[in-house]
Amino acid sequence: MTTPTRITPPAPGDAARQEPGRQGPVRRAVGLVLAERVPLLAVLLVAVVGYFYVLGQQGYLVAPYDSDYLFAALDTLVPLCLLAFAELVVIVSGRGGIDLSVGSIVSLSGMAFGFMVGLWHWPVLIALVVTVAVGAVLGAVNGLLVAYLGFPALIATLATYYAFGALALLSHNNAPISTKPIQDVHSLTRTVSLPLGDQVPDVPLQVLTFLIPVAVLMWLLANRTAYGRRLYAIGTNDIAARFANIAVRRTRFLAYVLSGLLSGLAAVVTVAQFASARPDAGSVGNGMALPAITIAVLGGVAIIGGVGRVVGVILAGLLVVWLNAGILLAFEGSDGSQFQLFALGALLVLSALLNAYSLRRGRGAG
Amino acid sequence: MAVLTETLIARRRRPVARAVEGQELALILVLAAMWVLLSLSTDTFLSSDNLSNLLYSVAPVALIGVGMTAVIVTGGIDVSVGSSAAVVMVVVAKAIRDSGLALLPALGLGLVIGLALGLVNGVLVAYGGIHPIIVTFGTLNLYRFLALRLFENKQVTGVPDTFDVLGGGKDGETLGIPNAWLLTMVLAALMWCYMRYWATGRHWYALGNDAAAARLAGIRVKRRVIAAYALTGIFVGLAGCVLIGSGGLVQQNAGSGLELRVIAAVVIGGTSILGGRGSVLGTLLGALLVGTVTSAITLLGWRSELIELFIGVFILIAVGVDLVRERRRRRAR
Amino acid sequence: MTSTYDLDRADPAAAGTQVLRLTGVRKRYGGVQALRGVDFDLLRGEVHAIVGENGAGKSTLIKIISGAEVADQGEIEIDGQQLAAGSTTSALGAGIATVYQEPQLFGELTVAENVFIGRELRSRGVVDRSTQRARVLELLDRIGLNRELADVRVADLPVAEQQLVSIAKALSQDPRILILDEPSAILTDREIETMFSAVRALRDSGVAVIYISHRLDELGQITDRVTVLRDGSVVASRPTAQLSVRDVAELMVGHTVDTGAIERTVADAEPALRVSGLTRLPKFQNVDFSIRPGEILALYGLIGSGAADVARALFGIDPADAGTIAVDGRDVVLSTPADAVGNGISMLPANRKVQGVFGPKSIAFNISSGHLRLLSKWGVWVDRGREKSIATDFIRRIAIKAPGPSTAVNNLSGGNQQKVVLARQLVERPRILLLEEPTQGVDVGAKDEIHRIILELADSGSAVLVISSDLPEVQQLADRILVVRGGAITAEFGRGARQADLLAAAAGDTGDSPEVSSATDGSSA
Repeated sequence: MTTPTRITPPAPGDAARQEPGRQGPVRRAVGLVLAERVPLLAVLLVAVVGYFYVLGQQGYLVAPYDSDYLFAALDTLVPLCLLAFAELVVIVSGRGGIDLSVGSIVSLSGMAFGFMVGLWHWPVLIALVVTVAVGAVLGAVNGLLVAYLGFPALIATLATYYAFGALALLSHNNAPISTKPIQDVHSLTRTVSLPLGDQVPDVPLQVLTFLIPVAVLMWLLANRTAYGRRLYAIGTNDIAARFANIAVRRTRFLAYVLSGLLSGLAAVVTVAQFASARPDAGSVGNGMALPAITIAVLGGVAIIGGVGRVVGVILAGLLVVWLNAGILLAFEGSDGSQFQLFALGALLVLSALLNAYSLRRGRGAG
Repeated sequence: MAVLTETLIARRRRPVARAVEGQELALILVLAAMWVLLSLSTDTFLSSDNLSNLLYSVAPVALIGVGMTAVIVTGGIDVSVGSSAAVVMVVVAKAIRDSGLALLPALGLGLVIGLALGLVNGVLVAYGGIHPIIVTFGTLNLYRFLALRLFENKQVTGVPDTFDVLGGGKDGETLGIPNAWLLTMVLAALMWCYMRYWATGRHWYALGNDAAAARLAGIRVKRRVIAAYALTGIFVGLAGCVLIGSGGLVQQNAGSGLELRVIAAVVIGGTSILGGRGSVLGTLLGALLVGTVTSAITLLGWRSELIELFIGVFILIAVGVDLVRERRRRRAR
Repeated sequence: MTSTYDLDRADPAAAGTQVLRLTGVRKRYGGVQALRGVDFDLLRGEVHAIVGENGAGKSTLIKIISGAEVADQGEIEIDGQQLAAGSTTSALGAGIATVYQEPQLFGELTVAENVFIGRELRSRGVVDRSTQRARVLELLDRIGLNRELADVRVADLPVAEQQLVSIAKALSQDPRILILDEPSAILTDREIETMFSAVRALRDSGVAVIYISHRLDELGQITDRVTVLRDGSVVASRPTAQLSVRDVAELMVGHTVDTGAIERTVADAEPALRVSGLTRLPKFQNVDFSIRPGEILALYGLIGSGAADVARALFGIDPADAGTIAVDGRDVVLSTPADAVGNGISMLPANRKVQGVFGPKSIAFNISSGHLRLLSKWGVWVDRGREKSIATDFIRRIAIKAPGPSTAVNNLSGGNQQKVVLARQLVERPRILLLEEPTQGVDVGAKDEIHRIILELADSGSAVLVISSDLPEVQQLADRILVVRGGAITAEFGRGARQADLLAAAAGDTGDSPEVSSATDGSSA
């Protein structure tokens, strides 16, 4: 129901677009930061870290904002980033893709892990694999609803958010599993020192064992694999994808499976971190889906689909985590956690505004 | 084709069918069936105490849902309503406690705050060119921050019973029905009329159908969008006052999770998340359904976690049925 | 907006008076002279057809009349008064309403609501529902739509009725002049009669109707006068009764210069593709044809003829209900694009923006997206080096004007975008290539280049099926031409067929005897 006449004369200016005129390097850099998300995030990251570092040096902070602290703060990044990757995948897949149920999948598969390790005394590694599989299966339910049955993603994952959350609570009578084997798993999240000398601070183990490998794999998936291509293709234009002989439904289905899989992984990390499999792990505060989606969007993932970079998500995650870490030191008591909310909300709205503005101004018209 | 035309005309003629769409009819039947079942299987479901509790607890969700229906019909969404409800509640509760504000001015205060918060959303969506889900995720955080700052790290205690008339107690009832629910029904009826008979109300549907065509047809799209979010804000203000109700305590996590319950009610009620379709009556029914499930599970002595399980299942059934119906409609053309 | 319904502007008693007059209208579009001094006049109470080939200037003329475009030179007069150019609002105010091919309606709203949406009648601020409803019912009566449909949801209506609602909507603006742009394009033969009755009723009530259509056979049934445009000029403007379909076709096409007829020989061999009894109701039925390797077969038909649907059935997008398809002699079932691709069939879709390109992505991405398995090691790892070199290769081979393979396709011109989508089809030389409107919206230079590529492809042994409504293209490319009309193949031509013959056949001229019918007495054919 759009363009009226079918036959249109060649539009004026139909010739290939002109190359942008030569601008000064400063102007171009500014333009780049405004237009591209990754450079903007990098700049903001440096600004934030620099700002808090200076504050710390001048004694305004409760504790020093140094590299030790920053590295230690990475422990909150791991589950967040994993879930943000999950959101990246489904949002990129297009057609209003989103996953509100990641928190509930974390809760439910976390309980599964709790059962396996805490009550049935399975070896941790096997339990881990099975937990991830459980997450994938839960994600497959979403995938079935969205890709094959045609439910809007918001609806399907809202429903599974409720259903999976309820199942998690029901699984163990609303009680966490914190038996000895579970508490032993906590060692998976201990801080370790890197054999890179004294200058390099200790880092939480899960960063090395979970975050970095997954980040690398995600990057490879998105940028180097055929599946990644298909994912971005269906997110950009799933009709053209069909004509290009891409299996649209299967690709979309797998996106949700992947999201569930990553959530399962995040579940294991969460259980280890808290030394307890909690049935409400995914619904603390506003739920885990919210910060995950926020980080994804902050990282440049476009809600319309087809756009989103793994590097952007990582940078956004770092920005949020280190900003939050700084805020915690700068404010007393619970003021800190409150200002974190402000920072998150403001970052989200401002970056989206910036994006919309630069789209309208330069690149959209060109 | 003549046969089809006749079918269409015949379908339109039935007055009941005109006012009430298919989905809503189904919901009424399901609700009625549930209520019958529950009155048979428990002694207390149909008791006036239980029913008025149910209606009182459903009222805030339904109230906000009325506004949210308009927002979703325009193709948008608002996930910040829980946080804005919290802001309204803390400000108004403190006002009536510390400044002794009377009912009407306090109500007015709540409405104004809700309106302001809703306007922010509306303006960002209409003029900022940002997708509503992102805007309202952002304001969700910002408003929650605002609320927590206003709480000053402790819950608000000793809130007087200024809003008793809207509360859950005996003073809040008229003929056994909570005033909050009566208010909700009246407002819902007004909104229903507005969305059905007023030009600007119909414009929401047009804009949800095809925003570009709506603009071409002369509809003031930006204004309509802002109106939908602003109206939702006003309803949030009202709902906040209802939640304060008989006073006492306002907790810091007030309104948490409210937005999802509202969206669930709207969606179960038959409003399409894609926009262009839906009605306030459906939202009321959806909210009632969720409330009934909650009450039923409690009374039947089942695990309370089952409530959320049922909500999830109901969402799928309601939307699934709607999907099938739309597909069949399209094929019949 | 008027709040009283006044019939002054469309007055049956004033029939025959001139309501619109264009003099010496010229318009240039970025290097192309779209209109070269067009004179045109329109009378009240007449249905006046404007016909012409793609690019003849029809749409430009209409845009100028409706205010969407400004003429470079020339005058437009409505009832003797100058019309302010380039403003759709003033055109609307002067009483010019347009109904486009795609009904711009809101599916979820009722018929009555759609008619006045955005322009609701108000008296002192409040919507005047009763007056509005009365007006809607009057309008429905006027065009012959059942009154009872006023409260039906538009999305529930069949396409023909939706079109009538569009017409009612245009009518509600109380026009002197109603422009109907290809009204029959999306209608089946049966539905067209409904639309005709509405148009006749309008004409009888004094409205002047401009009727744009490719379907020349309709002209005799509904129009009073025909104006033929060719290359931006009016070549004839006569009463319909004086012209046969063939006459009009000849006028539209003119004396075509021989473009250096291409000599092609096609080896006699087993057909690469053989189709028999292919049916998908209501789009097409009992279609039979075959294509030999190296042969270019064209299915030529107007929009809505069903030709495009045949292609989509052969690619598994909208599979056929009945009939057989044989590839290289083997019967195959093509129910998904994967089936088609598996049998060596590739397709270039018609609407590149919606169906073809991944706009924000690079040329390399676009080209490789159809061949990910081929370009991946172990089917998983994309070989980017190879992808890049293939893209670079194509950029060179088919002259895609772009800085490099990583240029975003959105930054290319229409013709170059089309080349990118075409390149996607050519990565693995397809056994059978289906092309739907391969040069739609493409500039002349790119058009020739794309034709060259298609010919080369055929020379290398592929069987090519071209679906096109572009006459010169069909003439230039095809070894054989099958004319499609109403979902069936109605004629076959070989190389060297005259454009006028093709056009006439596609438009419905079935025999040699001229079709003369008078439409002025309102009788239907």
